[in-house]
Amino acid sequence: MTVTEQEITDYVERVRAALADLPPTVRDELTEDLPEHLTEVAAEADGTLVERLGEPAAYAAELRVAAGAAAPARDRRGERIDAAVRRLRARVDRLDTRLGPLLGYDSAGEFLRLLRPAWWVLRGYLAVALLGAILGGGLALLPRPFNSAILGLLLLAVAIPLSVSLGRRAHELRRRPRQLMHLGAVVLACFGLVLVGQFGGLARSNYPVEYYPVDNPYDSARDVFVYDGEGRLVRNARLFDQNGTPIRIGYPDCIDMPEDQEAAVRNGYPYCPEQAPFGPRPVPPAAPPAVGPTATADPSGTPAPTGAADPSGTPEPTGTAAPTGTPPPTGPTAEPTR
Amino acid sequence: MHTTLDGVDTTQLLKGVLDLAVLAVLRDSDGYGYDILRRLREAGLEEVGDASVYGTLRRLFAAGFLTTYVVPSEAGPHRKYYALNAAGRDQLTRSGKTWRSFATTMDTLLDDRGMAA
Repeated sequence: MTVTEQEITDYVERVRAALADLPPTVRDELTEDLPEHLTEVAAEADGTLVERLGEPAAYAAELRVAAGAAAPARDRRGERIDAAVRRLRARVDRLDTRLGPLLGYDSAGEFLRLLRPAWWVLRGYLAVALLGAILGGGLALLPRPFNSAILGLLLLAVAIPLSVSLGRRAHELRRRPRQLMHLGAVVLACFGLVLVGQFGGLARSNYPVEYYPVDNPYDSARDVFVYDGEGRLVRNARLFDQNGTPIRIGYPDCIDMPEDQEAAVRNGYPYCPEQAPFGPRPVPPAAPPAVGPTATADPSGTPAPTGAADPSGTPEPTGTAAPTGTPPPTGPTAEPTR
Repeated sequence: MHTTLDGVDTTQLLKGVLDLAVLAVLRDSDGYGYDILRRLREAGLEEVGDASVYGTLRRLFAAGFLTTYVVPSEAGPHRKYYALNAAGRDQLTRSGKTWRSFATTMDTLLDDRGMAA
């Protein structure tokens, strides 16, 4: 009986399958000229390969033993790696027991083990967040796969308990699934860091916090009255801040008490620009009080322009003046609405 | 398996000396896998296993005791020949000495007990 090419190929394949746990290079090395060898074996005698050599699995086992320390070079490297791992592990163990008491435990590991369920929950969340990011929801605190927050919540409701139960059963897993799980953990942890970085970035870029000097003397200014160099009230001046944004300041209503300006002040704010007691003719103020000199900045928010403050002319350049000095105006609209 | 409790098993003995045996049959001439197997069997090591020899050759090669070269053959497949290199010859000499002293010790032991072969 002649052994066919196919039989040899099959036999080699089955031997290789039995050696599948070896590193691919080692396995290839061990079996690279096996087909030729088997062809020789087959040529010299009758009977099938299995009859002559035994089952491929047995052949593979014998080959493995004979090739023993299959590749010495690899083994030495393997030993060095093992030794390095042992040293590292010993060092980690020492650190473990040294850090433990700081946390109030025998070892840091004991403390960290207590945190495991927290990781399981986080893992479930991160898995959904990653899924959400992949499925077009972008990076978000609440995962939104397909832009659906509800789907995100549903997935969380499934994934977190699943992750917890996986955590509780991890010790039952065999080697390969467990390796997969650890790989997944690394991926999720990396993704978690990205997520944290992203939210940190958002907080910085999208919600700018401006800091004003605490000693800003105008903090308490609630209205502004503009006077010109002559001490005349400038009506309906428009004020702008340094960004060109109109400053709407002042109370939209005022109490009109033309006869008694003193009373106006006594009664307190709000009072109308005409009532503003700071610089009417009779007593042109050399130095109008504090915030002073300005006519209400269009309290009503009327868009219509009017007497813009003339920065140069203002007796006190209290930074209030509008940078864009609109030329004085015909203020038809003008007056603050009462 | 050949393992038995009531006798020395040749395959067990072979495990220890197969390296030496393979090196020895390559001392005079190079050979390819099946050829080496046949030489071993012809020399009296009939129980030697195919995979054992094949694996041993791979291991000795990996350890740097052998070199290989391929010889095309007209009829069959290409044949990979194994040859001793200097390291292999050194190894053969060392192992050979170890074996001889071991064998002598065993012979003496057996002779003392009156169990001469």
